[in-house]
Amino acid sequence: MNVLVCFKVVPDLDQLSGSDWLVDGCSRVETRFVKKIINPYDESALELALKLADQARGKALTTNLNALTIADSGANLTLKSLRALGYQEAVRIEADTEPDFTPEKVAALIAAYIRNTNVFDLIMMGRQSGVGDNAKTPLLTAEFLQWPCITQVTAVEKDSAGTYKVTAMADEGTVIRVIEPPCVLAVGNAPSSTLRVPTLKAIKEQADLPVKTYAADKYRNATPHLPLKPDAELLNIEVVNRKRKGIIVEGADAAEKAQILYQSYLKGWLAEL
Amino acid sequence: MSLTREQIVSALINIVGADQVVTEEEVLKESSVDRFRRFEELHGVYTQPLPAAIVYARNTNDVSQVLKLANEQNINIVPRTGHTATEGGLETSVENSVILDGSAMNEIIQIDPYNLQATCQCGTPLQALEDRLREIGFTTGHSPQSKPLAQLGGLVATRSIGQFSTLYGGIEDMVVGLEAVFPNGEITRIKNVPRRAAGPDIRHVIIGNEGALCFITEVTVKIFKFMPENNILLGYTLDKMKTGFEILREVMAEGYKPSVARLYDPEDGAYHFSHFADNKCVLIFMAEGPKAIAAATAEAIETIVAKHPECIKVDTRYIKAWFDHLNWDATDVAKERAEIIETKNIGNTTEIAANWDKINQIYETCIERIRNEIPDMTLVGGHSSHSYINGTNLYFVHYYNVVDCKPEEEITKYHWPLKKIIVEETIKAGGSMCHHHGVGKHRTPWIKDEYGSSYYILETLKKAFDPEGIMNKGTIYPGR
Repeated sequence: MNVLVCFKVVPDLDQLSGSDWLVDGCSRVETRFVKKIINPYDESALELALKLADQARGKALTTNLNALTIADSGANLTLKSLRALGYQEAVRIEADTEPDFTPEKVAALIAAYIRNTNVFDLIMMGRQSGVGDNAKTPLLTAEFLQWPCITQVTAVEKDSAGTYKVTAMADEGTVIRVIEPPCVLAVGNAPSSTLRVPTLKAIKEQADLPVKTYAADKYRNATPHLPLKPDAELLNIEVVNRKRKGIIVEGADAAEKAQILYQSYLKGWLAEL
Repeated sequence: MSLTREQIVSALINIVGADQVVTEEEVLKESSVDRFRRFEELHGVYTQPLPAAIVYARNTNDVSQVLKLANEQNINIVPRTGHTATEGGLETSVENSVILDGSAMNEIIQIDPYNLQATCQCGTPLQALEDRLREIGFTTGHSPQSKPLAQLGGLVATRSIGQFSTLYGGIEDMVVGLEAVFPNGEITRIKNVPRRAAGPDIRHVIIGNEGALCFITEVTVKIFKFMPENNILLGYTLDKMKTGFEILREVMAEGYKPSVARLYDPEDGAYHFSHFADNKCVLIFMAEGPKAIAAATAEAIETIVAKHPECIKVDTRYIKAWFDHLNWDATDVAKERAEIIETKNIGNTTEIAANWDKINQIYETCIERIRNEIPDMTLVGGHSSHSYINGTNLYFVHYYNVVDCKPEEEITKYHWPLKKIIVEETIKAGGSMCHHHGVGKHRTPWIKDEYGSSYYILETLKKAFDPEGIMNKGTIYPGR
């Protein structure tokens, strides 16, 4: 089986200070000064794929893991780390524009790469990134490929030689489906999916091997209907005040405090639910 | 004959009341370790003897009474406040120990802006004191990474140091007076004066005692005017640590006092700075204080660095973004715990100090040996973060994947051999094996090598102040 995991390296927005968000007269948030991380949902997808390979290995099945990102050379370090973790191939498509608000463009490039390569039967990626936050890329990729897509995926296993067992969150709880590939999986809040860490030895083995890089133009002709401009534009930023006033409940002991908490605050709130 | 667990608990309740004594097994288990054994703890494995109880002291008299009882009944006492120790100092090394916790003694007793000093009980969180001081335009000048969690008593007991130490000094330079209780229940106060030449400086019997001699109940520290508007940050990338050490030395030798003077190697730096320092070392300074002094300090540093062409100045907004998120709060600790469980990857640190002529040799030897000798390493690097006229510190950072061993074997397979390399190479080169985390229980095998002939003084302190050996057995002083 050939699995492709698509990921994005993004600025760690938690590292932005409040003042960084409010830049007068600027139609973008300055994020280049904070460190970069793998988009957390993509990180989960990358780890789920490694777990899938571990599990398949236990069944004597071979899994080829591949990683793809659309980024500048700053992502090379991450791609090499992924190879050190067991990804056979880690590829970069050179980004020529800001991809954050152009999910159609990103999805079209991914779909073109997949069609061009023509070996993958399972595509995994995070459901959204904190930067673009549109949650459209996996769905659009599936649409461009005319493949089915499962969203909010939390686990995937090789079920038999030809099928996968996919666990996903749904409104009514957890749904487990057995699917035949090809399929796109949009990974959501997957438990225990922090990406494992490569050893120094494995990193050293990968350090001097080049990262396969392709120009975006190589795939552009395959996607003639790409929008030229982002479908969203940042016009203004306002602080949403979510601070809540804290109240210290006074009482003789824990039981009395709990009673006051329930009677004065929780009871009414629960009744409204 | 020793008291039973039940008798110990009963005697403690008689002194402080049942509300102040905790005996729930899960809490006792968590209290039998500190961050040194967090891999075991995260996997629900507890290898240390279970303490008999945790006692939350409400005042100095509680502390005195509990210590008297322990001294008379030979009960091991583990003093504690913020529970952020990293070197095993809070481990309960013998059966039926009692954790004497001062975190409920958390009153800021007095802030004295005229005499520039603040007095706090031992359980005052440093962050709380700092926040109060900032409101009136002052600062403690003390900012360890644990600031959001650590409390004054523990900070003094472990000879803590903060990120602005090159200007403000370590905690030992800040403490002007103390109250401490010794094992026989004796309450001692050292008065708050600017200086005195009336014999040895007895503050240093207490500062850094790690709960092995006494229990610190109150601390008075210096405070300083807070002038962040004058701060000037400087950041550079460079190729070699050796060059960075030379620059740090020159800044100190020329008499400049930046508050921050830090040098990261590429491996340690990659975690923080990979978005601008692509496999380079990173050198960071912050000049602060009155405007003219800050400006003159920054200008002088720039002149010194300019003599080293391999240094390239970086936009200070990179440094500011990093610096704003340097400290660890409870959220970071919780996140780290989840990641360790999921990835089996754990990181620790070992901090040492040495003179300028030895520091690079220690750095290079330790890094090479760890890379070659310790299995499953995922990161080994380090940084210097506290410089002095005659030398600097090195803060080794080491991460590894725990592979093919039980949780309780992690220390013997990885952590302890790693520490052994760093400690032994440092002592061999004439440096100190502990810069600011304390000895705890896991560097005691080398304590006599650390002190040499002066161990006589250290040993005599224990005999004099804790003749029954009830204070934090196995900490600083090797267990019997």
